[in-house]
Amino acid sequence: MISKNYRLGMLIGFLAFIGTAVALVLIAFEDSVVFFFTPTELQSKQVNPERRIRVGGLVEDGSTKRGPADAEIRFKITDGNTTVTIRYIGILPDLFREGQGVVAQGYLQNAVFQADEVLAKHDENYMPRNLASAMNK
Amino acid sequence: MALFLAVIIRDLQLAKRHGTDIAMTLAFFVLVVALFPLGLSSAPVLLSKIAPAVLWVTVLLSAMLSFDQLFQKDYEDGWLEQLIFSGLPLSMLVLAKACAHWLITGLPMLLLAPLLAVGLNLPSKSYPITIFTMLLGTPVISLFGTLGAALVISARRPGLLITIIVLPLLIPVLIFAVSAIEATGDWSAIRVRLLFLGAILSAAIPLVGIAASNVLRQSLE
Amino acid sequence: MHHISNMNRFFCIANAILPIFCVVSAGMFPVGLYYALIESPADYQQGDTVRIMYVHVPAAWGAMICYLTMAMASAVFLIYNQPLANLAARAAAPIGAGFTLIVLVTGSFWGQPVWGTGWVWDARLTSVLILFFLYLGYIALANAFEDPDRGGRAGAVLALVGAINLPIIKFSVDWWNTLHQSSSLWRIRGPSIVPEMLLPLLLMGCAYFSLFVVMMILRLRGLYAGRLLRQMRIAAASR
Repeated sequence: MISKNYRLGMLIGFLAFIGTAVALVLIAFEDSVVFFFTPTELQSKQVNPERRIRVGGLVEDGSTKRGPADAEIRFKITDGNTTVTIRYIGILPDLFREGQGVVAQGYLQNAVFQADEVLAKHDENYMPRNLASAMNK
Repeated sequence: MALFLAVIIRDLQLAKRHGTDIAMTLAFFVLVVALFPLGLSSAPVLLSKIAPAVLWVTVLLSAMLSFDQLFQKDYEDGWLEQLIFSGLPLSMLVLAKACAHWLITGLPMLLLAPLLAVGLNLPSKSYPITIFTMLLGTPVISLFGTLGAALVISARRPGLLITIIVLPLLIPVLIFAVSAIEATGDWSAIRVRLLFLGAILSAAIPLVGIAASNVLRQSLE
Repeated sequence: MHHISNMNRFFCIANAILPIFCVVSAGMFPVGLYYALIESPADYQQGDTVRIMYVHVPAAWGAMICYLTMAMASAVFLIYNQPLANLAARAAAPIGAGFTLIVLVTGSFWGQPVWGTGWVWDARLTSVLILFFLYLGYIALANAFEDPDRGGRAGAVLALVGAINLPIIKFSVDWWNTLHQSSSLWRIRGPSIVPEMLLPLLLMGCAYFSLFVVMMILRLRGLYAGRLLRQMRIAAASR
C-alpha cells in the first residue's frame, strides 16, 4: 500500500503544480493576450510592419475622409490619449459611425495603419433611438 | 520515483522492440508537412505565413494517431490490472506513461520540426520560438492524449473517439503556440503566450494525473 | 435494486412538475417573442438587428446551465455512484449541444451586419465553440461502451475536465479585449440595458429555462425506460 507520507508528498506536488499554473496566468495577465491593441499600446511598442495585427478604438469625430482612390477611406481612431490614422479600401460595416468603436485588421506602415478589414465593435449598451438622442442633448 | 522510472524504461524498451509504430507516426508527420510545399509551390510567401499553423496542426494530428495503443495492450495482457491491484500510486503510473509517450513521439517531432520548418520557408528568426512552443506544448498533447487513451479503453473505435475528445481540449495550446510564433519580434507578446502555455502544462500535470488514474481504476471495476 | 425506489420517487415529483413547466414554456414563448419581436423598441445603433439578441442570449444561458447540470451530475455520479446522476448528465448533453448550436448560429447572423463578419476567432467565440465540441465529445464517449455505467464514468471525467471552460466563457469578455461585447446584465453598476428591452430578454430567459426543464424530464424518462429495457433483456438472456 501507499504510505501516508507518500500521499502527502503527492498532494503537495500536485498543489505546487496548480499554484505554478495560477502564478503564471497571473503574471501573464499583466499584459494580456488581446484580440486588438489600443492606439496607445501601438505607439509604445515596436510592431513589426510585416505582422498582421488588430487595432481597436473609437472613431474620432469629424476625422472620416474619402480618399483619392475608389472606395478609399481614411479615419482616425482614439482611445482618449493617442490617435492613429487608418487607411482602408472596401465596404464598411453598417455600424461604422463616428464615435463608435471599431477594430481594424492590417499592417502598421509609416505610422499609418493599412487596414484590410474593419469590424465594428458593439458596446454593451442597449437603448432605443429616442432615448439615445435625448441623452446626447 | 523508482516506479516512475521503471514504467518509463519499460515503455521505451517496448517502443524499441516495436520500432515501426513510432516510425509510422513520424513518417505521417513528415509526409503531411511535406504535402504543403508541394501543394502551394506557386505561393512561397503564403507558405511561410501559414508555416507555424501547418507545423502545429500536423503535430496535433500525428500525435492523435499514436494514442489508441497507449493503454490498450497493457489492458489486454493484464499488466494494467496487476498494477491497479498492486496498490501502487496510479497517478504516478499515468504521468510516467505520458512522459514515456512524450519521449517516444513528442521529442522526435520536436527535433524534426526545425528541419521541416526549412521546407516550409519559416523565417529563420522564428526557429527558437518554434522550438520553445513545442517544448511547452507537446508535453500537454501527451498528457491529454494519455487521459483520452485511459477514457477509451475497451470502447468501440477508440482511435476516432480519442481524436474527438482530445482535440477540443488542445485548441488553446494550438492558439497560443501558433500566435507566439507569428508574434516573432514582439517579445512581450511572445512572453504572454509562452506564460499561458506554461500555465496549461503545469495545470495539466496534476489534472491528468488525478483524472486518468480514476478512469483506470474504474475501467476494471 | 434499492435504486429503483429512489428512481420512482424522483419520477413521481418529475411527473408532477412536468405539466407546470409545459404550460409555462408554452405560454412564455409567444409572450416573450411578442415583446421581443414587436413590442420592444429598435436599438439606437443596431436597429432591428438587436432582436436576434432575445434568442441568442437566453440560449447562451441555457448552454451554460446545461453544462453546469452535466458537470454537477457527473461529479455526483463519480462520487456517490448514483445512477440517476448518470442519466441526468446524459440527458443534459444533447440539450446543451442544441442550445450551443443556436448560440453559434444566431450569433453569426447578428455579427454579419453589426460587426461586419459572421465569425472571428476571439476568446469568447472560440471558447463557446470548444463548449460545443465538449458536448459532442461527451455524447460520443458516453455511448461508446457496451456497459452504460462505464461510458457514463468515462464521460463524467471528460465533463469535469471540460468544466474549466465555463469560467473562461463567462469572463473571457472581461479578461481579454474581445470583439464580443461584455455582459450588459451582470454588472456591478446595474444592467446597461433599458427596462423595455430587459423585459423581453428575461421573458425569453424564463421560456428557455422551462423548455430546458421539460426536455430534461422527457429525456430522463426515455433514458430510464431504455435502461430498464436493457436490464430486462439481460435478465431474459441469462435465464
